[in-house]
Amino acid sequence: MKDTVLDIPAIELKGIRKTFTLSEDRDAKTVLALDGVDLKIRQGEFLTIIGPSGCGKTTLLRIIASLILPDEGEVIVEGEPVREPGIKRAMVFQTFGLFPWKSVIDNVIFPLMVRKFDAAEAREIAMKHIRQVGLDKFVDAYPHQLSGGMQQRVGLARALSTGADILLMDEPFGAIDAQTRELMQEELMKICQQEQKTVVFITHDLDEAVLLADRVLLMSRGPGRVREVIDVDLPRPRFDYDVRGHETFVKVRAHLWHELRNDLVEQRAEETS
Amino acid sequence: MKARSRKDVRRDQIVGVMVFLIIWEVSARLLDNSLILPPISAILAALWELIITGQLIVALSQSILLLIAGLIVATTIGFVLGALIARSRTAYWMLNPYLSALFVTPTIALVPLVLVWFGFGFPGRVTVVVLAAVVPILFSVASGLRDSPGDLIDVARSFGVKGEIALLFKVRIRAALPVLLAGLRLAAGRGVVGMAVAETYLRLGGIGGLIKSYGAMFQTDYVFASILPLSLLGIGIVSLIGRAERRLHWT
Repeated sequence: MKDTVLDIPAIELKGIRKTFTLSEDRDAKTVLALDGVDLKIRQGEFLTIIGPSGCGKTTLLRIIASLILPDEGEVIVEGEPVREPGIKRAMVFQTFGLFPWKSVIDNVIFPLMVRKFDAAEAREIAMKHIRQVGLDKFVDAYPHQLSGGMQQRVGLARALSTGADILLMDEPFGAIDAQTRELMQEELMKICQQEQKTVVFITHDLDEAVLLADRVLLMSRGPGRVREVIDVDLPRPRFDYDVRGHETFVKVRAHLWHELRNDLVEQRAEETS
Repeated sequence: MKARSRKDVRRDQIVGVMVFLIIWEVSARLLDNSLILPPISAILAALWELIITGQLIVALSQSILLLIAGLIVATTIGFVLGALIARSRTAYWMLNPYLSALFVTPTIALVPLVLVWFGFGFPGRVTVVVLAAVVPILFSVASGLRDSPGDLIDVARSFGVKGEIALLFKVRIRAALPVLLAGLRLAAGRGVVGMAVAETYLRLGGIGGLIKSYGAMFQTDYVFASILPLSLLGIGIVSLIGRAERRLHWT
């Protein structure tokens, strides 16, 4: 058995480089955001990406989503090189990214309508995922009537409704209060385990990075590179025991903080010198 | 001040109108000069006369047709130029002085030019309405489309919307709609002014024509009877757009 499906990585990044031009009027500066990122993400894997701010995490995710193209290198999704957004990847946004003029159902149904699904079928699929995130009472509500946590549930339902195997999540719980966040982390883990999703999850929260991940990718500060990929070998489901007190959790977290701290201290020294 | 219920407001308005009409009627009777101030009863009689002879319907439909044609042309031009200005700083700085000048120049000052360029027929009259109404539409389109709607463009693209045109219609215009309607509301008010100017200073026609010709005959009661529907038309169209605005706004 050489070529089983599972041998193909869900996502493969080959030598991704990206520079940005900051055009502040005339003196255009170029900034190297990503400097040769190579990475294989396994199918069904939960990968969290953490790194100091400005390390290019979001840029990397936008490249994986094909919202921007790399200057060099390739993004390969389930064996196929990609250059534009596709149905195998669905994104969840930090600021929720809901259309304020659409109701919950219309937001969730949006990707299906864009792809010309039959309206009745699309509605059924959308309703299933609205129920899955526990918002069946708010089907016809508008985003501004919902709390941040509820809005992100809508964002999650929308991503799930596409049927994509890969979820790309850009600090999805960053703008949500701490208690709601813990609840949503649990629910996300449940859903991803049930549905065998591959997840790329950006966060700046160390606890979150370790709690959710099968592997944590630590990026170094600009230009962005892969500094280290760490396995998190903790039994799942992780919410029915004291995972934060588990030896592995503590060890991985301490290690990540040590590495991150060095970066931050250096950055601080450069800024003040 | 205490918040007022709808009923209170309605009551205040009715009382206000009654007081106003009584003062008018009493002063008109005391003055006894229907050239300067005709009594309300005479104005209503004139209005009734205009209605049953069909003059008002004809005039009103001419005016509405002119107004709508003018607003459609103004919206089209406003959209194209507004989108251009939103996209290009160069276009903005090149066009801005002229647009600002057009905005503050009274439309009536441009009438002689419109007359020579477009004649006094329908095209000329539409041009006057367009000149009065185009700038607010143009600027609202420009500002509405310039403020990019957060990451909603990314959202739409990531879920499969392809191409600038599709993004324009599915996201940008929809996101800018409240601003666009506010511009259109302003433009409609100015358009009514332009319409009356066109109807009085180019070839006579519509409500403006009625006012001008009865004015020339010193029939003040008929002048008032014609002004009333003009104001109502203006209020009607502006509040119609205002209503659409409130419906489409999401907060």
